[in-house]
Amino acid sequence: MKLTEGAIAALSNGNGGNDPVLQLVNIRKIEGGNGPARFRVMMSDGQHTLSSFMLSTQLNYLAEESKLAPNCICILKKHVTNILKDGRRVVIILEVDVIKSAQDVQGRIGDPTPYSDGQNKVQQSAPVPASRPPLQPQNGNEAVNRGFNRDVGKKAPPLAMPSTPGGGSKVVPIASLNPYQSKWTIRARVTNKSSIRTWSNSRGDGKLFSMELVDESGEIRVTGFNQEVDKFFSLIEVGKVYYVTKGSLKIANKQYTSVKNDYEMTLNGETSIIPCEDSCDVPMVQCDFVSIGDLENRDKDAIVDVIGVCKTVDEVTRLTTKSNREVSKRTLGLMDMSGKVVSVTLWGEEAEKFDGSGQPIIAIKAAKLSDFGGRSLSASFSSTLMINPDIPEAYKLRGWYDKEGHAMDGMSLTELKGGSGGGNTNWKALADVKNEHLGHGDKADYFTCIATIVYLRKENCLYQACPSQDCNKKVVDQQNGMFRCEKCDKEFPNFKYRLILSANIADYGDNQWVTCFQESAEAILGQNAAYLGQLKDSNEVAFDEVFQQANFNTFVFRNRVKLETYNDESRIKATVLDVKPVDHKDYSKRLIMSIRKMAAQ
Amino acid sequence: MSVLDVPRPRINCSMLSQHINRAVCFLGRVEKVHPTGKSFTVVDGEGKTATVELNEPLEEELSGIVEVVGMVSNKGAIMAATYNLLREDKGASFDLELYNEAVTVIHDFPQHYPFQVAASG
Repeated sequence: MKLTEGAIAALSNGNGGNDPVLQLVNIRKIEGGNGPARFRVMMSDGQHTLSSFMLSTQLNYLAEESKLAPNCICILKKHVTNILKDGRRVVIILEVDVIKSAQDVQGRIGDPTPYSDGQNKVQQSAPVPASRPPLQPQNGNEAVNRGFNRDVGKKAPPLAMPSTPGGGSKVVPIASLNPYQSKWTIRARVTNKSSIRTWSNSRGDGKLFSMELVDESGEIRVTGFNQEVDKFFSLIEVGKVYYVTKGSLKIANKQYTSVKNDYEMTLNGETSIIPCEDSCDVPMVQCDFVSIGDLENRDKDAIVDVIGVCKTVDEVTRLTTKSNREVSKRTLGLMDMSGKVVSVTLWGEEAEKFDGSGQPIIAIKAAKLSDFGGRSLSASFSSTLMINPDIPEAYKLRGWYDKEGHAMDGMSLTELKGGSGGGNTNWKALADVKNEHLGHGDKADYFTCIATIVYLRKENCLYQACPSQDCNKKVVDQQNGMFRCEKCDKEFPNFKYRLILSANIADYGDNQWVTCFQESAEAILGQNAAYLGQLKDSNEVAFDEVFQQANFNTFVFRNRVKLETYNDESRIKATVLDVKPVDHKDYSKRLIMSIRKMAAQ
Repeated sequence: MSVLDVPRPRINCSMLSQHINRAVCFLGRVEKVHPTGKSFTVVDGEGKTATVELNEPLEEELSGIVEVVGMVSNKGAIMAATYNLLREDKGASFDLELYNEAVTVIHDFPQHYPFQVAASG
């Protein structure tokens, strides 16, 4: 059996070979204290031996079943080499194949000598736990080092670590925290801190606060109760970095948080939180950004992280909630490189203080996705809003926006009522309605187009509606001078005329039947419903004239289309939500952009 | 052959040299009127200047956006047959740069914007 000579040297230097064949020289069990046992292995490649191999806990059974025993020959299929703070290397065995069992092998192959990579830390004797620094867990084959990918949203199951002896002053990654190890220290930034919440029930009163900690490897939610609130709440500042040690870990209750970690931490009497001065390399935030274009594919009520350019921002408004509370609200339009724009709503003080001037880069962690207007986002109380964050994604967006993004209209995922929130429009030609099967999905589709009115149906465009303020239901003529509204369950001596206008609009490619209700119909006809009703009853010629004049005018139409089925027949129903005069400059710019885009394809 | 009987493409200053001895339509902002009133300069959407020469001297002061139809001389000036001022007091303001972009598009895609004499019945 030929061993892969030189493999030990390579592994020790961090250059994992391809499936080196090694002989197991020695295997020793180390009690894990609170956690599972660890097995330390000495391997030989015929040339050298190296005792700093650790078996990953998922392979413990191989040792326990004596499959891995001194002298057996194995192939190291998967491993990770970790460099400890003192420069020593440890090779974690993640996958190993025993190709010749111990009893089939005569003895030690070759005459290997202990490999020393200049550190002189050759260990043949059983390592005393006290002298071994903590090993860091792995995400598959990734070595956990500093300079981690900041967008780590996936969390690997943490492998049990050997106890950190002597107070554990070595820092471990958040991703490695688990309930089975108690001696650890993390160095993390506080990204979110809640206010103190109190409760009072039959069992007594209490208070708590929670926060989120982030480092290069991941994030974790932390809660402190009662005494810990007194001890830590005022000490902790959002945005600052702290060393945290001796918190209790338990399985996370995902109901209350969207933090990506299987575990969450509770502060206890032994916990210590110390500010860290050297914090520049701890990331500010741990986000798994979803492209705005992808939001359509997410379920409503999903919690997502987004980042984009604040293309538009509205004035702050105040509204009264159902519980008669007054709250401030502000909407902004967020656009990213997908070219799509989504409406984001801010609330309360955040809305009031928000300054969207200069098209800042906005990142929101844990925004709530809703299907309002199609797709829209809301920054809830558990969301974190960051303006021009110091992260690479922000710089990328800034560069893109300055070069191309600023010239784009962006396609809005959110249909805003009564006038677009500043440039968020989905422009289509009428032929696109059929070609793109608009309205065929579960939800209605919204689009804007420029079209000319080619026909107006003046018959039955007016109906008699309930005169009550907010009721537009058609009333029944009781023929006795009274009109009954079924919805209000009342009779009235009068009614108000309202318009439902059926029109055919056309552009260069296609035409479309649309229904226009009161506001849009009045805009098209240039007269209000009451006057038209009067005209219809008194002066038919003048009434007809209104329709003649209105014909062949061109407008910007904002429409809603939906496929509707009546008795086996499916038809697209299009409703006009808004009618506006054509802004020729805007239109020209769009046409020129389309022409250039088409030419480039 | 009157300049007004033939199609006259819209051009800007950079296209003058390609249209020598041809009828064109030039639109720009009046820069300066010559003291004799027989010519004036216009600036196009790219900021370049062209000279417009008239048969009769101007009777009034000219300013704002003007559309000139005429022939391009050997020297690259426009011999105006007619001109008309665009009213700037009504409607949206004229965007000269946007106009220039449109003119560029027309000339970049001659297959889609052909200049032909319309066939008449």
